[in-house]
Amino acid sequence: MKWELPKELKHPIDVATVLRKRRSLKRELLEQPNLVATRIAILGGSTTAEVKSMLEIFLLAHGIQPTFYESEYNRYSEDVMFENPELWEFKPEIVYLHTTWHNVSQFPELLEGDAEVEQRLREEVGRFEAIWEKIQAKLGALVIQNNFDLPSLRPLGNLEGSAAYGRINFLMRLNAEFANFARTHSRFLIHDIHYLSAQVGLNAWFEPMYWYSFHTALSPTATVALAQSLAAMVKSVYGKSKKCLVLDLDNTLWGGVIGDDGVQGLVLGRDNPMGEAFQSFQRYAKQLQRRGVLLAVCSKNEPETAPLGFTHPDSILKLEDFSAFKANWNPKPDNIREIAFELNIGLDSFVFVDDNPAERALVAAQLPEVAVPEVGSDVTRYADVLEQERYFEVDKIVREDLSRGSYYTANVKRNVNQGKFKDYGEFLTSLEMVAEIAPFSPVYLERIAQLINKTNQFNLTTRRYTGAEVEAMAKDSQCLTLYGRLTDKFGDNGLVSVLIGRVARETLEIDVWLMSCRVLKREMELAMFDTLIEQCQARGIRKIIGVYIPTKKNPMVAGLYGELGFSSAGDSAGGQQLWQLELPQEYVAKSAHIHRTAAVEPVQAVSSQPSSK
Amino acid sequence: MTRAEFLLEMEEILGLNPGTLKGQEKLEDLENWDSTALVSLIAMAESRSNTEITLDQVVSCSTVADLLRLVPLEGQPN
Repeated sequence: MKWELPKELKHPIDVATVLRKRRSLKRELLEQPNLVATRIAILGGSTTAEVKSMLEIFLLAHGIQPTFYESEYNRYSEDVMFENPELWEFKPEIVYLHTTWHNVSQFPELLEGDAEVEQRLREEVGRFEAIWEKIQAKLGALVIQNNFDLPSLRPLGNLEGSAAYGRINFLMRLNAEFANFARTHSRFLIHDIHYLSAQVGLNAWFEPMYWYSFHTALSPTATVALAQSLAAMVKSVYGKSKKCLVLDLDNTLWGGVIGDDGVQGLVLGRDNPMGEAFQSFQRYAKQLQRRGVLLAVCSKNEPETAPLGFTHPDSILKLEDFSAFKANWNPKPDNIREIAFELNIGLDSFVFVDDNPAERALVAAQLPEVAVPEVGSDVTRYADVLEQERYFEVDKIVREDLSRGSYYTANVKRNVNQGKFKDYGEFLTSLEMVAEIAPFSPVYLERIAQLINKTNQFNLTTRRYTGAEVEAMAKDSQCLTLYGRLTDKFGDNGLVSVLIGRVARETLEIDVWLMSCRVLKREMELAMFDTLIEQCQARGIRKIIGVYIPTKKNPMVAGLYGELGFSSAGDSAGGQQLWQLELPQEYVAKSAHIHRTAAVEPVQAVSSQPSSK
Repeated sequence: MTRAEFLLEMEEILGLNPGTLKGQEKLEDLENWDSTALVSLIAMAESRSNTEITLDQVVSCSTVADLLRLVPLEGQPN
């Protein structure tokens, strides 16, 4: 029986219920398979027991099992700035700084001048920067830092927001400085509790009774909202955000039924309040699509009629915005399975939005991996529900994300084109594929780190590395790194493959080898392997060790090393499968249908003799 | 909320099997009676019976029976 997310953790969440049932929920969540372990240090500026408890629940809901380090009360600074063997030995992957406006150490005095206020700002920012820099220097962890929420009391009234000596003005300037640090530093993310406190509402965000009784800076309602939001950030870092939004059409993207009302009869656009609401929802979906979320249609409609809705002059979405389009009378779960197959992404990457509760129930029942939010039938609430669930949280947007939809659309065209060829090799040749394969370049490091942390299926070891670790390996002469970009006559697939080998004397062990599923069955892995062999020969490497670490998601690569001519070297104690290949004197390239363009510069061979100076 | 419902919710908060609590137990003897249980209890009282309980009130309780007296229960005098 497939594991399902407990209903208590689905929108709308009842805070009292989640608090009451947290122990049984934790037990239930721990039963799910393939939990990803992580170590998180929570450094608190106030009591953090509730934050830790709720964060654990919401991380488990995303398939992430945390182990925590928790600072003593209000020791977020001391725990970092002074020797702390317990924290250093814990080696957190993430350090979360749970501070709020209560932790600002100095606010301006009444009627203080701009220069004095500026000085206070610099000192306060400097205090936090010292903490962040120490964390990154000592621990190398990802830092997630709360910005500042808003105090509920304003002794200066509306002047708080505009006067330089106003607390709220000071907090907003601090938040701007924090944001600037995030923009200019890697492995540092801002958790926007300024927004969160506004979303929850200040009267619900802070409850004096909890502050005075427990010194918790947040009410239980706010703590649940914070934990949900923070868990969404962490899941994004671990590549678990959803990738595709599947949308119904009639009364979801427009009012009315295209098959009955025709394009002219649709309720869409500013002439009508509901029409404006549908247009706003389309705009929201378009904004998601623009930054890399795939859109798909799944509609009960005639296939010729359904696309006509996007010719409406007030339709924000156009047909080309969709990476998959299913309009027929088949059951929607079947259509969604087909979309997953076409786009080559897992069902757990999908969110399905439909105004019809029966359709939602059917998909939820038959495809429990698909997220099916209870959006209701009021279009004015659809985007809000998607926002609350934070399905598509993103920690970074790279340029490649902007054209993700077009990659998938082009892929569908490739697949259609394939049908014209009797011989698959002929089809591959017809694609006129060109691969750029070269050692890591600084301009690609973000995309490389993204792939390392988000690729599951074609991934031999599923080892995850931070951006800093990737950067270090790129500079390490004992590492052999390769990235691969692939273009063909239909378009640019982008950077789709990563390989990292660790060199020891005359042996190279493949530590990371992965490939995006968008280029499966194009022989890109053969092109990468050909370049790897050439690089190894240039370095004087005589043996390659391949490591395969089986997971539930990567059985497709179980036989790869065998197919490439490796022989089995047995299993390690940890269940890893080891393969080895003695480099042949003469090597014949395996990729016959890809033209490799990056000229591989001969790399100085690794010498076992010390170099003379 | 009835007495039985209150006890059931307390059992959930404490991670106990339904029917474990009889109503006379000493709080200090209950495993998992900690600060997170306190917060859950306060939230539960507010949500189920619209009653605001303070930390001082809870801290002054030493048995489950004392807790039962903090919230209005159906069928029982206040």
